[in-house]
Amino acid sequence: MIELDAVSAAFALLSSDLSAWLYLLPGLVIGLVFGAMPGISITMAMAFALPATLYMDFLPAIIFLTAIYTGAGFGGSVPAVLMNIPGTSSAVATTFDGYPMARAGRHNEALGVALASSVLGCLGSYLMLFLLIGPVSGLVLKLGPLEMFAVAIWGMLLLGSLAGTYLARGLLAGAFGVLLGTVGFNSAGFIRGTMGIPWLLDGVPQIPAMMGLLAASQLIGLVNTTYLITDESARKISFGKTLSGIRLTFRFPWVIMRGSIIGVLIGAIPGVGSSISNLLSYSETRRNSDDPDSFGKGNPAGVIAAEAANSSSEGGAMGTMLALGIPGGGATAILLAAFAMHNIVGGPSFIANNKDIVYALIFSNFAQAVLLLFVGLGFVYVASYIVRVPLHYLIPSVLVVSNFGAYAIEGSAAGPITLWVFAILGWAMLRYGYPVAAAVVGLLLGGLLESNLLRTYQISGGDYVDYAVQRPGALIIFALMLGSIALQAVSKRRRASKLSAGKPE
Amino acid sequence: MTSRLSRRHMLQLASAGVAAAAMTTPSLLRAQDSFPNRPINVVVPFDTGGYNDRLARAFAPFLQEELGQPLTIINRGGAGALLGHMFFMQQPADGYTILCTSAAPYLPLNILTQDATFSYDDFYMVNLPSQDYTLLATSADSDLQTIDDVIARLKEDPGSLSIGIQAASADLVNLSILADANDIDFDALRMVTYDGGGPARNAVAGGVVDIGLVGGEGFLPLREQIRPLLTFDRRQRDDWEGAIVTDVMGEDARVVVGSQRGWGLHATLQENNPEAFRILSEAIEAASKNPEAIAALEAQQLATEWYGPEESNKMLAETAEVMEQYLHLLQGQ
Amino acid sequence: MSSKPRRKVVWGHLVLLSVIVVTVIAYLLDARGVSTLPTNLLLIQPLSIFALILAAFILPGVFPRKDAAKEPVAGETRLELMRCLALIAALGLLAFTLERIGFDVATFLFMVATMAICGERRWWVNIGFSALFTILLIYGYGTITPFPFPLTVL
Repeated sequence: MIELDAVSAAFALLSSDLSAWLYLLPGLVIGLVFGAMPGISITMAMAFALPATLYMDFLPAIIFLTAIYTGAGFGGSVPAVLMNIPGTSSAVATTFDGYPMARAGRHNEALGVALASSVLGCLGSYLMLFLLIGPVSGLVLKLGPLEMFAVAIWGMLLLGSLAGTYLARGLLAGAFGVLLGTVGFNSAGFIRGTMGIPWLLDGVPQIPAMMGLLAASQLIGLVNTTYLITDESARKISFGKTLSGIRLTFRFPWVIMRGSIIGVLIGAIPGVGSSISNLLSYSETRRNSDDPDSFGKGNPAGVIAAEAANSSSEGGAMGTMLALGIPGGGATAILLAAFAMHNIVGGPSFIANNKDIVYALIFSNFAQAVLLLFVGLGFVYVASYIVRVPLHYLIPSVLVVSNFGAYAIEGSAAGPITLWVFAILGWAMLRYGYPVAAAVVGLLLGGLLESNLLRTYQISGGDYVDYAVQRPGALIIFALMLGSIALQAVSKRRRASKLSAGKPE
Repeated sequence: MTSRLSRRHMLQLASAGVAAAAMTTPSLLRAQDSFPNRPINVVVPFDTGGYNDRLARAFAPFLQEELGQPLTIINRGGAGALLGHMFFMQQPADGYTILCTSAAPYLPLNILTQDATFSYDDFYMVNLPSQDYTLLATSADSDLQTIDDVIARLKEDPGSLSIGIQAASADLVNLSILADANDIDFDALRMVTYDGGGPARNAVAGGVVDIGLVGGEGFLPLREQIRPLLTFDRRQRDDWEGAIVTDVMGEDARVVVGSQRGWGLHATLQENNPEAFRILSEAIEAASKNPEAIAALEAQQLATEWYGPEESNKMLAETAEVMEQYLHLLQGQ
Repeated sequence: MSSKPRRKVVWGHLVLLSVIVVTVIAYLLDARGVSTLPTNLLLIQPLSIFALILAAFILPGVFPRKDAAKEPVAGETRLELMRCLALIAALGLLAFTLERIGFDVATFLFMVATMAICGERRWWVNIGFSALFTILLIYGYGTITPFPFPLTVL
């Protein structure tokens, strides 16, 4: 598993060119800033930096790019916490509890929690990569449509917990989201619901829609308020509080561990990655919590679950890229391109022949995670000044930024128009007790759900049961899912009986 | 768009282009009076990270060396390249916007199935170096050893093998040709449709589907996990083992080329501005033949072969013609 | 059943629910128009029907009893609602005009309008901040996105 020769070769490689480490800091900062700008994806940040790496040596080039990757991964959490803007789909679950924390004046703490769990998640994922790079990647290719369908269903379970006061409204919001998520081409080549608009062929633009539903709708509702945090005394920028948030994170080792494992495993699946892992981790954490009702109202464990999972997805995606030579998403595609520029081709033989490079990459990511803790502290300190900005500056500014982000990610007015339509929808839903988050989850999972259900149907020829017995992996996932639900039901009943025992009628 | 607006637009581009140039090429030494005297945009109708994007970015330094002006890559992905092609057509045909695209299958698909507002005659392909081909493959540990095994199994029961494939693709047309040539009931085949070449290839490599028909170049990184059974080309490609179409379907076998990717211009440029047209065509040719460029692109598994405009446009027209014949296959399974 | 006079109508909720129902029905009909093969309707058809059933369950909530617990929108003045709607209108105008009149002009006008809607009364602060922020954004986003923003003045 771990080859000591290769490890020492990796150290030799890393210390051969100490100037390479100079790129660590700028990489992280570029990543943080780009990642914190709504609509600027990790891929865009890395594509932007790619030409510059052409004239670097291999090691500095890779350190620079992976530092951007790491930085941008956390950068997205900052607007998610402070303004309910999921700048990327991987920060959706971060908004569920991060934003309520910020509104309650616990913004410093929330950012501290997010930072620490990102760092720990990233460390954890690379540690797992270090130990397990071979076996996990072998499994990734074996995942069939039924397994993926099971993962999507697992994500959909989250709807139950997001429903809030009115169950029917929650389910309708979720179902509506899923339906909107299937607009456009399906994998069998049918075009539905585009109303003749060319850009809807690829479906509803997800990120602008999420920004509209979650962020713009909130801002519209806030127009009659003067500050993000109503209580003036709570609008403090406190380094101490951020640090206490970091300390708080360490009180949830299980949440971090579960998040990191989910993150690595889901992150390793090409094309799924961090956008699903943060939802699953959040959902599991809430289900297994002693007090599920406190989630969505500012429970730090929710932030930890989401951030540990989305930042550990990086390690999973890197694992797939290194072991199989296939990119799981845009970011790893850019990394592969950078490898190629230096005449290094990924793929199964890559790991076998270049263990030193693989370990060097892993070690440099350990260093990045640690450095992120310090750089990130400074960054969130500055960013948290947003809570002091009066809303009559903040609302126009953030709406405009979201609008630019929506344009940047779509490359046309399709982004801003989607943002607008979904802002109205989100605003109306908020007013009448429909959980916006359920619609977002549905929208995110709709495509995954449909295409894998479709492929399961195709591959089994309609004989689902026959096919399912041949797929032990899928059965295990379904069993785990049912087990988790059963456990929750048992613990709920136990709590209820404890409660009634303690409180005489 | 007003002319005033597009001038501003260009000014903005110029500054972005200079920034890009400062990053990529240290020296730009050409005179400023004749075409081109400002940066040139390269429209890539796909998102960052895909084949065309990588091709454009890898080729750009060598092309801008020839042109003496920086190139700015503009990604306009979406709707199977339709949005990017539309955007390209909306730009003035003055030679300051060029295209790097998968001309086939996307131009025919846009035109045949998506009611595109442009036609083939609006595009002029200078060179389509990447000529992808369909590869029929199975997982390395599959019990299917040769293409004959596959044909025999499908003849006996067309539903016996699950087939990973992309809807509305050249691969699907090739599968249909193979089925017809061997009296296999195409409609009874158990096809599993994927949204992109990558996922379909992964499914083949992991044994999720029994066989798959996908673009062959993309299989290169997965070489060790798959067993190639049939290359849909008249010659052996990329050192794949297994049969080629003429082995299975005889000398007059028909095939559709997979993706044909490369460089295109506005067709009207030829009459409007023959000077710019000539300079661009020659620059692309010179850069394609530049040994440094060839080495750099090969290292990234990108194609550089020079076919020239005549051959490239002819190949595209042929593909378009065959795709039109199989139009019914391209509209949903 | 003499509950007739004791119910009221929550108009906004009625509009929202109608929009959802109409969208779902239109989408289902459109999809059925494309093809009725299972590879097209496998998920869409059952889910649409499920959504319509849910909507039927929710419908009574649109006409709550007068004495029922208050709906979430309580204590909102007409002025406050107008502000929300003005903001929505401004955002829509921005989205539909920014390619036509340029990002710089559209963004600046949007900033000025929305700052006024949000209650900024000092016009010099409004115009100054709006101009500054617009310039910052256009150069900030302009340098890092892989395509240009259409501009008119800047």
